[in-house]
Amino acid sequence: MGTYIFRRLLQGVVVVLVVSMICFLIFRYMGDPVLTLAGRYATQAEIAEVRRAFGLDRPVYIQFGKFLWNAAHGNFGKSYVSRISALDLILERFPASFELAITAICISFVMGVGFGVLVALRPYAWHSRAVMAGSLAGISIPTFLTGILLIMIFAVYAGILPPFGRGDTVQLGFWRTGFLTMSGVKHLILPAFTLAMYQLAVLLRLTRAGMREVLAEEYIKTAWAKGLPPRKVIFKHALRNVLIPVVTMAGLQFGELIAFAIVTETIFQWPGMGNLLLTSIYETDQPVIVTYIMLAAFLIITINIVVDILYAVLNPKIRYD
Amino acid sequence: MKKSYLVLAISMCLAVLLVMQGQGLAASSIVVAQDVGPRMMNPHGDDSDAGLQYMANFFDGLLQRKGPEGTLAPALAVRWEHPDLLTWRFYLRKGVKFHNGNPFTAEDVKFSFERLSNPEVSEFINTGKSIDSIKIIDDYTVEIKTKQPIPWFANNMHQIFIMDKESTESRDPGDVMVHPIGTGAYKLEEWAKGSYVRMAANEDYWEGAPPIKKVEVRPIKEASTRFAALISGQVDIVTGVPVELYDKVVANKKLQVISRPARRSIFLALGNKPGTPMADIRVRKAMYMAINENEIIEKIMRGHASPAAQVPDPPTIGYNADIKRLPYNPEMARKLLKEAGYANGFDVTLSGPNDRYVQDEKIAEAVAKYLAKVGIRAKLDVKPKSIFFPEVAEGKLEFYLIGWFDGTFDMGRTYFKIAHSRDKEKGYGGLNGTNYSNAKLDKLLESTASIVDPALRKKTLQELNRMAMEDLIVWIPLHYQEDLYAMQKGKGIKFQPRPDRWMVYKEISK
Repeated sequence: MGTYIFRRLLQGVVVVLVVSMICFLIFRYMGDPVLTLAGRYATQAEIAEVRRAFGLDRPVYIQFGKFLWNAAHGNFGKSYVSRISALDLILERFPASFELAITAICISFVMGVGFGVLVALRPYAWHSRAVMAGSLAGISIPTFLTGILLIMIFAVYAGILPPFGRGDTVQLGFWRTGFLTMSGVKHLILPAFTLAMYQLAVLLRLTRAGMREVLAEEYIKTAWAKGLPPRKVIFKHALRNVLIPVVTMAGLQFGELIAFAIVTETIFQWPGMGNLLLTSIYETDQPVIVTYIMLAAFLIITINIVVDILYAVLNPKIRYD
Repeated sequence: MKKSYLVLAISMCLAVLLVMQGQGLAASSIVVAQDVGPRMMNPHGDDSDAGLQYMANFFDGLLQRKGPEGTLAPALAVRWEHPDLLTWRFYLRKGVKFHNGNPFTAEDVKFSFERLSNPEVSEFINTGKSIDSIKIIDDYTVEIKTKQPIPWFANNMHQIFIMDKESTESRDPGDVMVHPIGTGAYKLEEWAKGSYVRMAANEDYWEGAPPIKKVEVRPIKEASTRFAALISGQVDIVTGVPVELYDKVVANKKLQVISRPARRSIFLALGNKPGTPMADIRVRKAMYMAINENEIIEKIMRGHASPAAQVPDPPTIGYNADIKRLPYNPEMARKLLKEAGYANGFDVTLSGPNDRYVQDEKIAEAVAKYLAKVGIRAKLDVKPKSIFFPEVAEGKLEFYLIGWFDGTFDMGRTYFKIAHSRDKEKGYGGLNGTNYSNAKLDKLLESTASIVDPALRKKTLQELNRMAMEDLIVWIPLHYQEDLYAMQKGKGIKFQPRPDRWMVYKEISK
């Protein structure tokens, strides 16, 4: 077990390194930040001087090495665009992304599992078929369309929900939260549903498939035969076994929701990290992009490792050695 | 039991917080949605108009541009003199205070100008490096000497903002990037990056307290979301209404649209490398005449642009009202091509950005189609601005679409940047992306560098402009953009957009 964990951690470190290296190489060909840094009317000589000042005239491997050396000391460089530490810039926006993702995952989990169970109990009823058709739509309709449709219906025509931003927020220490104000909660509804839509559909279909399989098992039949109340049979006996893959799925997607809610954040002008990443790409703000990708890789890999290890702990049938 | 107490406590806290929500904004307050937010609160760190317009509310320059026409007016300097080609003397306003109470003196001016040449904090390196020395004559007089004659030096003073020396030096550099301390009409209340910028009126402002007491600016990149925010009544004014949404805004009874001709012209730059088809003036003329600009304005810009016959806009020194567009005439274009020996046309690559100007990509597509009709096979190569502009700077292109307006209202500077032959030593032609080169034009242009007399300068630049557009066809001008704004009707907001697209809130009232 110990060697297994160690091996996984080592893999994780290697992946983060490789990702950052690829990132570094790609973004060298994504435009030249020096042009903006020097200003519109800078002469060629002044541009060259700025290039030297930022160390961008050095070969790539030296730049990359320097970046890694600094990163190892917790210094990810300054954003070219805002000249503020790249890490601070990203972490400042972490709460917004995290709150959006956690809300979305809650919505998709509760609704996905709830409807999944209902649909599995009466698979051939018309409303079950309607839900399944809806879930297919949820998987196939692109996020930006979902978002714009929701804005159109709820913000423009009905005028009941705000179309953009986070509303009023409260600062608790370093964390700026929107959960504690009415307007913050209102602002959260549309983007959270937009972000949750795809996950919801996936979890719903997963739950339904699992439920239908389990409900046909002998031990469930026995439970029914014993005359247990339906609530007990369905939730205690059946759902518990179905939830393992569902929770795994939700857990694995959680990291991605935090790191890559780019489309949703853009449509709703949600001041999260995805929004920042997009802006940084537009502005060739390399330090921010590379730091961001490294953080995202770190986050997703960590979640993956934790899930794997938990699996090994929870399920003695799985052996990794 | 304990559990229920805890739940009770938490829910009570929540209730209190919900009650403590932000109160409604005061009567004299506005909410504005813009397409871009500020990058930082360091007034020298961003030379784009998108960033400077935020800074213009927190800081003052020595001079300012007054809306709605953008005329140059005194600000922190009450007047200025230009005794010889290299010297600029500014007489400063007395009794002005920074937001933190520090008095404004010549020290602050010297400090701010010296800061310009530090690449770590400034994008105005060019201005910084052009200064030879700054002498403090007394507390309210400053003398700046430039290395070379810069006729437009004072015209640029509205975008060089003055910082407080004491607090800029004593604070942590990171703090300077996020907390502006200027002399401007507004103080920064709070900046939540990506969410909003809140400003409050500076009651001690030297021009008098601004009428709007609270301003909230919300950056919303997505045009349709910006529009939704306006319709749902969450914001009062939006900037940058895309042409495709224009009809929708007009159809809405609650909203009103304000359009104003923009300073930016859109044009095509052509190379003239000897031996290439475009080195022949007849070919250049043919390309010009093959493009149906009226149709571009009508179909692609939906009428929100006006045809241009030259690059500078009317208020710019060097604008020449006598220059006329060549007529659209594909027949003539084909004839000219035949005369030049290209009866079967030729191949050319047309580059351009796809995320910079209004409908930039569609304009480039249209141009390629018009050229195809006279036999010129233009291969399209449009890409994001972050890749396109470096290629312009490296001079790697043969034919491209670009837009420009000169912030100093003086065409001399722009011509040096985009029309003069590339000269690394002297720093000319840095954004002449096709390596266009004409000795006659260069010579005339260089002769203007030391002309300071306004009348003579205007005449010479007008002649230069005529030569470029009529004799040489350095560029094929297309049109001037139009800026579109929308706001809530019936709120009594008095707002006149400026030609430079800056949102200067002291000029808005309610």
